[in-house]
Amino acid sequence: MVRYFQIFGTFVVASLIRDMTFRLNFVLECVTSLGWMAMNIAFYLLVFSYTSEIGAGSGWTKPPFFVFLGTGLIINAIVQAFFMPSAEEFAEMVRTGGLDTTLVKPIDAQFLLSMHRVKFSAFANGLVGVALVAWGVSRLDTAPTTAAWVLYPLMLACGVAILYGFIVMLAAATILMGRNQGLYDFWFYITNFSRYPAEIYTGPWGGPLRMVCTFVLPILLVVNVPARSLALPIGTGDVRLIIAAVVAAAVMLGLSRLTFQAAINRYRSASS
Amino acid sequence: MSGMATFSWQQLLPSWHGWTTMLSINVADRLAHRGDFFVGTLFRFLPIVTQIFLWTAVFSAAGSELIAGYSRNDFVAYYLLTMMARSFSSMPGLAGGIARSVRDGSVKKYLVQPIDYVGFLMAARVAHKLVYFAIAAAPFGLMFFLCRGFFPPLPEVPTIAAFLATLVMSFLLGFFLEATLGMLGFWVLEVSSLIFVYMLAQYLLSGHMFPLDMLDSITLSSSGYSLGDLVQLLPFQYTAYFPCAVWLGKIQGQELVSGLLVEAVWVVVAAVACRIAFLRGTRRYSAFGG
Amino acid sequence: MILVFARWGLYCFAMTSSSSDSRSLSPVIDVHGLAKHYRVADKQEGLASSIRGLFHRKSRTVEALRGVSLTVEPGEFVAILGPNGAGKTTFLKLLAGIITPTTGAATVLGHVPWQRHDDFRRRFALVMGQKNQLWWDLPAAESFRLHQVIYRLDRQRFEQTRDELVELLDVGRLIHQPVRELSLGERMKLELIAALLHEPEVLLLDEPTIGLDVVAQHSIHGFLRKVQTERGTTVLLTTHYMKDVAALCRRVVVITHGRILYDGTLTEIIDRFTTHKIVTLDFEQPPSETTIAGWGYPCERDGPQVRLRIDRERIAETLPRILAGESVLDVTVEDVPLEDVIADLFRAGRDEYALAETASGGQA
Repeated sequence: MVRYFQIFGTFVVASLIRDMTFRLNFVLECVTSLGWMAMNIAFYLLVFSYTSEIGAGSGWTKPPFFVFLGTGLIINAIVQAFFMPSAEEFAEMVRTGGLDTTLVKPIDAQFLLSMHRVKFSAFANGLVGVALVAWGVSRLDTAPTTAAWVLYPLMLACGVAILYGFIVMLAAATILMGRNQGLYDFWFYITNFSRYPAEIYTGPWGGPLRMVCTFVLPILLVVNVPARSLALPIGTGDVRLIIAAVVAAAVMLGLSRLTFQAAINRYRSASS
Repeated sequence: MSGMATFSWQQLLPSWHGWTTMLSINVADRLAHRGDFFVGTLFRFLPIVTQIFLWTAVFSAAGSELIAGYSRNDFVAYYLLTMMARSFSSMPGLAGGIARSVRDGSVKKYLVQPIDYVGFLMAARVAHKLVYFAIAAAPFGLMFFLCRGFFPPLPEVPTIAAFLATLVMSFLLGFFLEATLGMLGFWVLEVSSLIFVYMLAQYLLSGHMFPLDMLDSITLSSSGYSLGDLVQLLPFQYTAYFPCAVWLGKIQGQELVSGLLVEAVWVVVAAVACRIAFLRGTRRYSAFGG
Repeated sequence: MILVFARWGLYCFAMTSSSSDSRSLSPVIDVHGLAKHYRVADKQEGLASSIRGLFHRKSRTVEALRGVSLTVEPGEFVAILGPNGAGKTTFLKLLAGIITPTTGAATVLGHVPWQRHDDFRRRFALVMGQKNQLWWDLPAAESFRLHQVIYRLDRQRFEQTRDELVELLDVGRLIHQPVRELSLGERMKLELIAALLHEPEVLLLDEPTIGLDVVAQHSIHGFLRKVQTERGTTVLLTTHYMKDVAALCRRVVVITHGRILYDGTLTEIIDRFTTHKIVTLDFEQPPSETTIAGWGYPCERDGPQVRLRIDRERIAETLPRILAGESVLDVTVEDVPLEDVIADLFRAGRDEYALAETASGGQA
C-alpha cells in the first residue's frame, strides 16, 4: 500500500514537471475551462432571472442550486484531474502497444493505467466550485448542520467513486473494442444526466428515467446526494439516497475491477 | 497581390471524378465505423432529453407561459432545430486538420499539385456532409417525429425556403470561418487552444446554448442597446440561432430579408478572409522554407 | 518496522534465488509446444464490401505460433530470426506473460509467465524497439525514479546501478533532457538502461536496434555484451540485422510461419546453408565468357575484375586451375553475406510451409 502511495507521488511530481514545461498550454487549459464554466454559470444566472426555482416546490432556488452546481464542478474537477487524462490515453496505449509494457511491470495494471497522469489545470474549476458552494451555503435559508458537513465529503467521495467505476469500465470496453472514439462521447452524454437536480425528472417519462439513473446506472446519485445533503434539509427520503450512494459506489468499484480484469484477460488471449 | 490573379472560381469546383472518389471514400469510411456512427448520432440527442426536463422544471416555477417570447415547447423545438443547424454549420476536425497539415508539412503537396487546397477541402466537406445526412436522416427523422408535439404548425413555403437558404449559408459560413481559423496555423504553432476558444465562443454566441433573445432583457447601461443586440452583430448567430428563429417564425418579413442579406455578406467576408489567409500563409510558408 | 522486515526479507529472497538460478543447470527458459492462435476481423475494402460488412463480418483464425519448443540455459545470448509476421514478437510476448498461449507450456525462471507473479515480473525485462516505456515529455531520470519505486529497488543500489549503466553508455548529459528531444538511438540507450535498473536475470529484446545508425548500433552491441558477460544475464533478441547476430549471439533460432526452422550456432548455419563462396579475381587480360562459365557462376563483371560464385567443394581444385591458366593480379575469397544465407533459409521455410499447406489442403 505504501508503495502505491509512493508511485502515485511519482506520478504527481512527473505530471507537475510536465505541466510546468508546457506552461503556456497549462494556462490556456485553465483559461478555457474557466471560460466554459463561466458560460455555464452565466446561463443559470440568466435562467434564474426568469424563474425563482428550478422545479416548482423542489427547493432548488438560486442558493441551493449554486451549491449543486459547485458540487458538480468539484466532483468533475477531481475526475478530470486524476482519472480522465489517463483514460483518454488508454485507447492510444492499446493501439500502440503501450499496454504491453505496462503488463510486464510488477504492479497492478488497473492502478497504473487509470492513475498515471494528473492534470493540474482541472483544479482551476474545482476552486471555482468551492467558491460557488461557499457562496450558495452563505445564502441558504437554514445553515447546514454539523452532520451535513460530515456527510458532504463522504458523499462527494462516493460520487467520485461511482464516476471512477464508469471510467474504468469504459476503458475495459476500449480494450474489448480496440478503440474509444464513441466511448467518450457516451461518457459525456451519460454524465450529462447527472448535471441537473433529480427533481426535474418528473412525469410519465421522467419518473422511470429517474429510477433508472438512480438505481440501475447510478449517475443521478453522483452530484445530487452530496449537494442535497449540504444544501437542503435532510428528509426521510434522503437516508435512502445516502445508502444508495454508498452501495452504488461499492458496486461500481467492484464491477469496474471485474470488467477490467476480464478485458485484460481477453486482451491476453486475443492478441498476438 | 499577384497571387490573387491566379485564383479562379473554377478551382473551387473539383472535377466530377474528384467528387465521386471523395464521395465513395467518405461512404466507405462511414460504413466502416457504422457502430460509432449510429450510437454517436443517437447519443447526440440525449442532451435534448435533459433539456426538455430542465425547461419543464424552469417553467413550472416561472409563473409565466413565455420566457423571452418562447414557450416551453418552443424551447424544445429550438434545441432540436439547433441540432439540425449545427449539423450543417459545424465542421469537426476542419481547422485542426488544416493546422496539422501545415505543421507536418503535408500542405506542401497542395502547393505543388495543380489543385486548390480550399476547394479540395470544400469538396471533401460537402461529400462528408452529404454522406452524413444520408445516414443521419433516419435518427434525425425519428427524433423529430417523436418530438413533433413540441413544434408549432408547419410554416409557409417562403419561410421554409428561407430556412433552407440559411442552412446552406450556415454551412458555407461555418466552413470558411473554421478554415480561416485553421490557416492561422501558418503563423501560430499551436492552434488547438485557439480552436477550443473559438468553439466555446461559438457555443455561446451562436445560440447553441440558449436562444439569443434571452439576452435582450439585459440592457447595457445608458446606451439603450441590449446584450442581445450586441451578440447579433456577430456572424456566429447565423450558424445556429438564425435558422432556428426563422423556422419558429421569430424573424419575418423585412427583418428576414435583411437577415438573409447580412448572412450572405458574412459568407463572402469569411470566404475572402479564408482566401487571403491562405495566400498570405503559403507565401510566408514558402518564404521561410516551411 | 514491518515494512523494514518485509523489504529485508525480499532482498534476501532475491539474492538467494538469483544465485541459485545462475548456478543450477536447470534451464532458465523451458518451452514445450507453445502455440498461439487468435481471430481477426477481415478488413473490408471498397464500398460494396463495406455495405456487405454491415450485415456480417468475416473473421479468420491466425496461427501466430504453431508449436514451439525450446530450452535456454542460464547466460545464453540467443538471437531469434525470422521474416516479418513469423511469430517472433508473439513468442517474446508469451515469454513475458503479456499474452496467454492457446496451447503449450512454458516456464521462465521457474514461473509460468502468464500467471504473472510479481516475483516473476521483478526478475525479467522486456524492451521493444518500436515502443516507448519512458515518459515522453519528461527527462529519463524521472522515469528511472518511477522504476525504482515500482520495482522496490533499494535507493543506494538503484543509484549505483543507474550510474554504472549511464556511464557505460556515456549518456550522462541526456538523462536530464526531455525524452522527446532525443534521437532514436539516444532514446533506445535510455530504454535499455531503464530495463536493466532492476538487474533482471532474463532480458527480452524485440528489435532493439531497429532504425538506428551504425554508431548507435555499435555502442549498443558493446553495452549488451558487457552487461551480459558481467551479470550472466540470459538474453533473447529478435532482430532483422545480421550485424546484431554476428556481434552478440552464438545461438540462433530461426522461426518461420510460427515454427522453429533451425536452432543452432551461427557458424553451423553458415556451414550448413552456404553452398558457395564468392571469389573476386583481377585479371591482367580478362578471359572469355565461356572460360569463366567453366569455373563457376559469374555474378558481376567490371572490366578486368570478375566476381564468381563457386561451389564450396570445388573451390580447392578450381582456384589453382585458374591461377595456373591466367595471369591474375589479385584474388579474394569471401563467404556469401550472412543476409543472403538467412534470406535463403527464410525462403526454404516458406516453400516448406506452402508444401505442407497444399498437402493438408489435399487431404481435406
